[in-house]
Amino acid sequence: MDFLGFAATQCLNALSQASVLFFIACGLTLIFGIMRVINFAHGVIFMLGAYVGYTASAVSGSFLLSLVVAPIVVGIVGMVFERVFLHRLYRRRDPGAYLMVTFGLAVVVSEAIRLIWGTQPLGTGIPDFLRGIVLVLGQPFPLYRLFLIALGISAAVAIWQFLDRTRAGLLIRAVSQNAEMVQALGTDIDLVRTGVFGFGCALAALGGALAAPLVTAFLGMGTTVVIDAFVVVIVGGMGSFLGSIIGSVLIAFVQVVGAYYFQELALAFMYLLMLAVLVVRPGGLLGKEE
Amino acid sequence: MNWKHGFIGAALLCALLPFALPQYMLTIVVEALIFGLLAMSLDLMVGYCRLYSFGHAAAYGLGAYACGMLLKHFALPLPIGILLAVAITVVIAIPIAWICTRSTGVSFAMLTLAFAQLGYAMLYRFKEITGGSDGIDGIPRPPGPFNIAWFESKLGYYYLVLFCLLGSYLLCRAIVRSPFGTVLAAIRENEVKARSLGYNTRRYKLATVVLAYGFGALAGALYAPFAGFASPELFFWLTSGRVLIMVVVGGAGTLVGPILGGGAFLILENELSQLTDSWPLIFGTIFIAFVMFAPQGIWGLITGRFGRSAIAASAARTEEAPDAAA
Amino acid sequence: MNASTAATSRRALLKATVAAGAVIAAPAYLTRATAATPIKIGIPTVITGGYAILGQQTIRTCKLVAKLKNAGKGVLGRPVEFLYQDTQGDPANCVRKCQELVERDDCRIFTGVIVSSEAAAIMPKLEEWNAFFISHGNGDGRLTAELFVPRFFRANTSAPMGARTVALYLRDAPQKTFVAVASDYSWGQSSVKAFEEQTKKIDKQLVDKIFTPVANKDYSTYITKVLQSKAEGCYIALQGDEARAFYSQAAQYGLAERVQFFTEIVAQSDIKVLGKDALGLIGSSRYPFTYDIPRNKEFVAAFTEEYKNQIPDWTDGEIYQALTILFAAIEKADSTEPMKIIAAMEDLDVTSVKGPVLMRKCDHQGENQGFVVKVAQNAKYGEPIPEIVKIYPREVTTPDCRSSSYST
Repeated sequence: MDFLGFAATQCLNALSQASVLFFIACGLTLIFGIMRVINFAHGVIFMLGAYVGYTASAVSGSFLLSLVVAPIVVGIVGMVFERVFLHRLYRRRDPGAYLMVTFGLAVVVSEAIRLIWGTQPLGTGIPDFLRGIVLVLGQPFPLYRLFLIALGISAAVAIWQFLDRTRAGLLIRAVSQNAEMVQALGTDIDLVRTGVFGFGCALAALGGALAAPLVTAFLGMGTTVVIDAFVVVIVGGMGSFLGSIIGSVLIAFVQVVGAYYFQELALAFMYLLMLAVLVVRPGGLLGKEE
Repeated sequence: MNWKHGFIGAALLCALLPFALPQYMLTIVVEALIFGLLAMSLDLMVGYCRLYSFGHAAAYGLGAYACGMLLKHFALPLPIGILLAVAITVVIAIPIAWICTRSTGVSFAMLTLAFAQLGYAMLYRFKEITGGSDGIDGIPRPPGPFNIAWFESKLGYYYLVLFCLLGSYLLCRAIVRSPFGTVLAAIRENEVKARSLGYNTRRYKLATVVLAYGFGALAGALYAPFAGFASPELFFWLTSGRVLIMVVVGGAGTLVGPILGGGAFLILENELSQLTDSWPLIFGTIFIAFVMFAPQGIWGLITGRFGRSAIAASAARTEEAPDAAA
Repeated sequence: MNASTAATSRRALLKATVAAGAVIAAPAYLTRATAATPIKIGIPTVITGGYAILGQQTIRTCKLVAKLKNAGKGVLGRPVEFLYQDTQGDPANCVRKCQELVERDDCRIFTGVIVSSEAAAIMPKLEEWNAFFISHGNGDGRLTAELFVPRFFRANTSAPMGARTVALYLRDAPQKTFVAVASDYSWGQSSVKAFEEQTKKIDKQLVDKIFTPVANKDYSTYITKVLQSKAEGCYIALQGDEARAFYSQAAQYGLAERVQFFTEIVAQSDIKVLGKDALGLIGSSRYPFTYDIPRNKEFVAAFTEEYKNQIPDWTDGEIYQALTILFAAIEKADSTEPMKIIAAMEDLDVTSVKGPVLMRKCDHQGENQGFVVKVAQNAKYGEPIPEIVKIYPREVTTPDCRSSSYST
């Protein structure tokens, strides 16, 4: 295998991993912006996305449609949860409360998934038009992963434009910087919070639906992914959207390099990077220290 | 009711508990006490410094692995093994605490998480020593000092754990009520002000983190010989998350609350899973309900019934909290 | 009451026993059980959590066995009763649940444990509990070697046995060079170690060993590595989530067209999900339901009758075999006392759904035949199934005594 081809495929491998990571981490970081605490249930939400996506694709027969249905359904679940529970907790400003309520949610949802879909793992096959193999400098590379990369990049651009250019995006950025101030200025920040929570969940669900053809949908599929996403968010900077993009790419590359050259240390690599970043910049690469 | 009466009453009650319970319950009760101790140690950070550690599994795991290896390879007497394990953890905790206390809020949480996960990864890296995914099995539970066959029996071990828990509680209580604790309270309420009064706040926080690791290691060191093994799960982030939940559900900043929280969490999980396969549904719902209806945790519920003032004080504290995690 | 504790601190225990425990702990096996008392078998398995699929399979076959046995004469004329407990795959929970089964339910017979580290955690405790444990799925070679305890038996094919079977098959395979991909936990390491030893003996070359982190999700880098090694064959010791992730991603890279896969374990629950991505896979199977002997056909018929549209997986076959052996030993011992069952089980030769099995005395490993299967489409079933391509006799598949290696 010549080096160029090898290097190119490894880069693409890393970018495709970064795409999936980005969907989870971006939701996590946006939610952090409004809650100021880690959403314990994010991994379970990711798993729910994969299962809903499976059903949607099995019923409709269209994988692409399932990529639309899963985020919508899970986003609604997220918004309902936010309205009924989280909504009443903001006033308390107690990080413990968020932690516990999202822990409860995680436990309940994963059991609900077991009851609804059973323990048998489920496979969402990829549609035929995404099944092929592309030769990149003579090396085989799956079309599906190129699709993931393309989707990841377009989502990143779209969200960035949305946050940067629209009024809603401006509001979200404002709320995550200073909620009281925005409220004092007469804006209904409740609506913003509900929307952002639902949106964050929807992104995670999309990640889950996209990851299902790579790993199949199974119970516990979110447990390790979510910790990777935590690391991405921390490295990139809590609450920073751009940080979540940079973090995803960085972590994905570290994982690929670690897995290839430092097999024995692959697990430790990511955490070493995170420690290094936090020691140098306690707020993460693009975050500000709070 | 004076706290001393309360303490003596609770101690007596615990001492008599094994005789009121069916034999088989003793295992879970011992583990409940161990988790109570672990949760209480985390409360030193969470409740008294508002340092939300997301990596307390490191303290627990270090204590358990150190104690397990010492007992297995060097055939030490149990109390010595346990104390040495605590000492080792404290030594390791110092640089960890030094790095972690550079940050506050979420950064602090994530640094502690990183160290715990790094420990988890190291277990797999050095599998010749740590046993990798198997962990350490066949950890002996040597008899007590002077060869009194105490700790070998479950009842004897129950008293050992109870003794450690009550002793640790008294120690922690003394610490948080000492001048040192007063400074902690000042830091918790307003760190900038405390610093401007001339306190080196970081040194105080560092000491608290190391203390918390020490007591957490004690819990781990008690667990390993009781279960007879130590496994990588002890280090995993889910363990850290669970301990944090135990502190919150018990009532942070009260020491007693987290002990109750830890015990209740474990016993509830164990007993619910006897009732139905879908026990997580009930388990999760209980936690959600607790957040919604009992914001002060278990201890808040109890003191709320018996003494209004305590809950008011504790409520006032939460109200004042500036963006705590941030 | 556990033996060692009672001896060392009788007084303390006596109090406790009088206070509460006596009623629960004393009965059944001290006084001779009456005909109607059920035989209790503890199943500390995974009901919720990542390994729930294996636990669910274990439980469904236990339920089927209980139904069949209790509709007939039972065992020793007594009904069998399974006590299911959820360990979530965590050794700490597993030890606690077993302890409760012993002390609360006076249950002294265990099987159905899923994870090898759970098995390793409870094995040293068996003596204290006066209990007996027969494995139906724990693969780690060390359980009947370094970690051997007299109260533990393994009815199932272990990881070294699976690796050995694949290696025996490779002796006649055209491929010369191999790369191994395994999960970095005890089962995977044990499997690759055995495979490496075997390849040397048959004059094949293992060019690279890749250990992937536990619960790894993305295998793209490892797939590139396999492609780069230019090996002709790939030996895979991955299970469950990891196996499914690897095969589906490998299919996307077209890896199977370039390299022949050989796996230590073929699971129906995985190939069902993988569908056509699994076709052509060759591997050893702990239990292929297509095995054509009367004993197995009977089981498969009863199974499909009870669970419509479902195919018994290896876990189903292995737990059925473990229970068959257990009941045979109980009948032979004419007792449910652990030590008597152990005596009866040593060198017990039984024909089960997997053919003849000998529970050899020296290390309590069951000598199982080795099945090599190829995953293929079959008109009778909606999902791909394993077709048997070769069966190796039990004498050659079982390792040396108290060891994971083979001297021949």
